[in-house]
Order: sequence, then C-alpha cells, then structure tokens
Amino acid sequence: MSELTLQNIGKSFGEHVILKDINLHSQRGEFIVFVGPSGCGKSTLLRLICGLETVTHGQIHIAGKDVTHMAPAQRQLAMVFQSYALFPHLSVRDNMGYGLRCAHFDEHVIGHKVDQIASMLQMTHLLHRKPKDLSGGQRQRVAIGRAMAVEPSLFLFDEPLSNLDAGLRHTMRFEIAKLHRELGKTTVYVTHDQIEAMGLADRIVVLNQGRIEQMGSPMALYQSPANVFVASFLGSPNINLLQGGWQPNGAHGQLILKDGSQWHTPLINTSGTATLGIRSEGLRICNLGQGLFDARVILVERLGSHAHVYLDGPGHHRWVARSEVHEAPSLGDVVGATVHPKDMLWFDDQQNLCSTGQ
Amino acid sequence: MLQRGIVFVLVALVLNFPVLTTLINSFRKRIDIQNSPLGFFAFDPTLEHYRKVFEHSTFHFQDYLINSLILGAGGTLLALLVGFPAAYAIVRFGHGRHTMLTVLSCVRALPLIVFAVPIYLLFQIAGLLDTRFGLALMACLINLPLVVFVLAAHFQELPSEIDEAARVFGAGTLRIVVHIMIPLSQSALIAVGILSFINAWNEYLFGVFLTSKSAIPISVGATFFATNLGVDWGVASAVLMMSVLPPMCLGLVSYRYIGRSLTTGAVKG
Repeated sequence: MSELTLQNIGKSFGEHVILKDINLHSQRGEFIVFVGPSGCGKSTLLRLICGLETVTHGQIHIAGKDVTHMAPAQRQLAMVFQSYALFPHLSVRDNMGYGLRCAHFDEHVIGHKVDQIASMLQMTHLLHRKPKDLSGGQRQRVAIGRAMAVEPSLFLFDEPLSNLDAGLRHTMRFEIAKLHRELGKTTVYVTHDQIEAMGLADRIVVLNQGRIEQMGSPMALYQSPANVFVASFLGSPNINLLQGGWQPNGAHGQLILKDGSQWHTPLINTSGTATLGIRSEGLRICNLGQGLFDARVILVERLGSHAHVYLDGPGHHRWVARSEVHEAPSLGDVVGATVHPKDMLWFDDQQNLCSTGQ
Repeated sequence: MLQRGIVFVLVALVLNFPVLTTLINSFRKRIDIQNSPLGFFAFDPTLEHYRKVFEHSTFHFQDYLINSLILGAGGTLLALLVGFPAAYAIVRFGHGRHTMLTVLSCVRALPLIVFAVPIYLLFQIAGLLDTRFGLALMACLINLPLVVFVLAAHFQELPSEIDEAARVFGAGTLRIVVHIMIPLSQSALIAVGILSFINAWNEYLFGVFLTSKSAIPISVGATFFATNLGVDWGVASAVLMMSVLPPMCLGLVSYRYIGRSLTTGAVKG
C-alpha cells in the first residue's frame, strides 16, 4: 500500500497558480526528496501534505486514509521546520515531549519516551537546557527528536539543514540518513541543495514553476535527465550546454554553431535546433588538436581530490572539465577537450532529452 | 563628565518641577504656602496635611483610592482579556487585518470628549453610572487600542512557525494561546499592562462624567480641595502625592519592559 499518495494536487492563491497537477505515489519507508529552485512550490507542496495549507483541488492520502481536509494533528505525521520552530520557553525535555503531552499520554510514558529518544540522539545531557543554550546542530536534533517522539507514519523535513554551516550540514545529513535507515519511516524532504537531494534520496522529485519536471532515482535523473532544466539543476558544477542549429546528414546529424563550425552528431529526433549536454566529468583534457575542440584555460579550481578546469571554447562558449589535480593544466594554456559519445546528452528543440550516448 | 551630570540634574529639575513643588508643598505649613508660594528651600516641615486627608469628614480618600485601584486593575485586566486574543486573531488568522487596526487607530485619535455624552446615555440605560465596574469598563475601552497595537506588533515578531509546529503536534488554538503565546508574551503583557494601568489611574474625564458618589476615583477626588473659597494647596498636594505613588512605583519598576516592548521589531535580528 502506498504510504503517501498525491492525486492531481493543485494550489492557487487567488489567480496565482503555485502548483499544478502533482501526482505521486510513495512506497512505505521511501525517502523522497522534493528539489527545485526557490519559488518552485516545493515548500508549498510540503505544507499541503502537512495540512498547514489547504489544497485548491486534488486529494492527499496517507497510509490509505484520505487526509485532504483533515487537520495536521490527525494526519499521523511530524514535521521538522527550517528554523527548527522549537518552543523557546520550554526545556529540551518539554519540547521533545510536547506532541505526547498534547495527545494526553501519562507523564511517566512521556518521560520514558523522551529519555529513549534523547539517548538515541545522544542528547541526554542536554534535556534540562533551553533552546537558546543550544548550538544549531543541537537544536536540529531536538526538532528531529520532537518529531520522532510522536511515532508518525510520515516524516516531513522542510529544508532542515539550510541554516547550518557546511561542515555541520554534512554531519547532520549523515545523521538523518542513519535515522531513516533505523526507523524505516516514509520521509518527504524538501531542499534546494541538489547535493543533499542526490545523497539522501531513494527518489528525487524535481519541481519547476509548480510542475513536476521529473521523478526517479538520483542516478536515473543524473544520467538520463528528462530535459535541460533537470540536467542543469542536478550536478555540480552545472552541466555544459551547447545549443545550435541541427540538420540530418545521412545516418548522422550536424550541429551548426554560431561561429559556423559544425559538429558531428548522432541522428536525433529534433527539428531546427538541438542542445548538447556534457557533464564536467565527461569532458576530458587532452592534447591540442586531438579532441572535440581546442580551448584556452581561463580558470583552474583545485579542490583537493580533483580540479575543475574552465575553458574558453569555440564561439567563446565557456566549458567546465574535471581533471586530476596533478594533471590539471595551467592558466592560459591552450588544450584540447574530448568527450566519449556515451557522455553526451542530446536535447531536442523543446529542450527534452532525445538521445543519450548510452 | 561633570558637565554632563550638571546638565542631567538641571533637565531633571525642570521636567520634574511640578512634581517637586507639589511634594514640597505637601510638607509645608499652610501659612508658609500662602505667604511665600515659591519658598521651597527654608521651611519647617509638617505632616498636618497628610493627617487632614485621613481626618477629613467629607473627603473619603481611602474610598477614592480603592476606586482607582479597581479602575486601574479591572480596566487593565479587561483590556488584556479582550485585546490579547483580538491581536492574535488579527495577526495569525487575518481577521479584520485591513480594517480593525485602522478603525482602532482612528477611534483612538479622536478626543475622548466626543464620546462623553453617548457613553453617559448608554451607561445610564445599562445602570452602570457611578459603578466601579462601569468605570473599569470605560478604562478597558480607552486602553484597548493600545493593547491591540502593542500585542499585534509583538505577535508579528514571533515566528508563525512556532504556532504551526504546535498545530502539527496536536495543539489547538486555545492550547497554543495559553501554553505558548502567553508565556512568550510576558514582556509585552507586562509593558502594555502597566501602561494601561497608568492610563486608567490618570483617567479624569470619564471619572467626572460617569461617577457621582460611590465610584469617584482619586484623579477626580483630588480636585475637591479647589472650592469657591479657595484652594487648600497643602492638603491638595498631600492628596496628589499619595495618589501618584502607585503608578510612579509601577513605572520605576517596569520602564525597561516598556522600552523593550515598544521598540520590538525596530531592528531585525
């Protein structure tokens, strides 16, 4: 049975349409990540699932029950907010026990449950403190502990790591992944960070302007993005994109760039224009004249484990290639750049994927 | 530093001149006040005026004081009981967001004398004339705009995610207000409560209009020493000094809360 089902969900504020035709079926225990740029509607969708906003049309089912018009507390879910939303006047213990207290559990049951969760989250020594006496990561754990205490069917996370520094974000990402494995609960996680999405998700849902662009496993979306938007959004640095006029040429095709140069392409299903996408790890530095094109090195980012090499290619188009640190060229060098056909993604005139090199 | 201190003392003396003269006159003999009205520095102090206040046959100081305490406390409590949920509903649920605050500010901007006659007639019909409850109700109405404005500004500063989190975990609106909003609003409640008490204590216009015998507050009672035979300045000064003590003490205790609450939201952070 699907743990979470969204059927034709739409949301508008007056005439302003925020979400349109959202459909989703999750499996029990699945970790779903809603990802997209700011303003795409991912947080609104989460709030609709939670019950903090009402749908304009459509239905929401949680654990087989229609919860579309139910109050948040009746939906058997718990939410971790971006700003933690801890109650400042309550101790950590009282914050974590808040949901159980609202449900009128006995105090000894609440105490036992809170102690259990605090032990799991390594927070026993902090139970007497107030939120203002905690660090960002500790507050985040308290927010997670508060959600765990009510034993929900569904966990919701609204950009929980966005207020943390990079190092702490990485640590907390690991903690969240570990908790999900241990608890096995269905989780819906909202983030604008595609690295978080790739690292945590069983399934990623990419949203753009209120619509689902694509959903699937992280690697499926990375290797076969449905369109230019998904290809650009996932992956760091951004995918290299080159657009040009396209025409068939026998069993192959030709991509005609602005400067008049022509590149050999497979036969793809498009008319008029095509876009070539090459991820940075697919673009390799080689000897001059031996690659797809020659280019001047305009920037080298040495990141420890690898380097990003920025190239000024044909038509002054900017490319990013990945290189081993010890093999990275120097600033100003003129080098060749090559790509294996299997690393090429082709998008048609509607910017939809029409061919991969696989 | 010394120059700054001298300036502070001079400014304080100028600002507090009326209060200081009243205080000194309350301890000066009647004959001294009549003979040298500005002779503040050399006089034989006396407590005769304070004794007269309590021994006066027709001036019931204790009753006026109790009336003012009930007016102040009752009016404040009523204003908070009505204004707190009103402000919460306006900010969190948007009820009357575009009209209520505008109407409240317009009403409060009008001089209160405009409402004197219609309020008198309403109180007469309702049997509230010359009653402590009626006066407290009037104080509530006068203070309600202030209470709603200050608390609305306070609620706007509180993140709405706190309410949402409580709601997700099973709290209803009443539980959120009682268990979360009230504890988080202590400073604002203290500040606006004290301001309301001081306003109510000093209320004179409706004290004159709506009372005649049983519910006279001290702000009205203190004027009874001005008769067609003259003003007994000494006794009047003693009455005034005793009547300003409660709000003055409250103000001294609470000025930090008032300042903090009224500047809430001035700076993001």
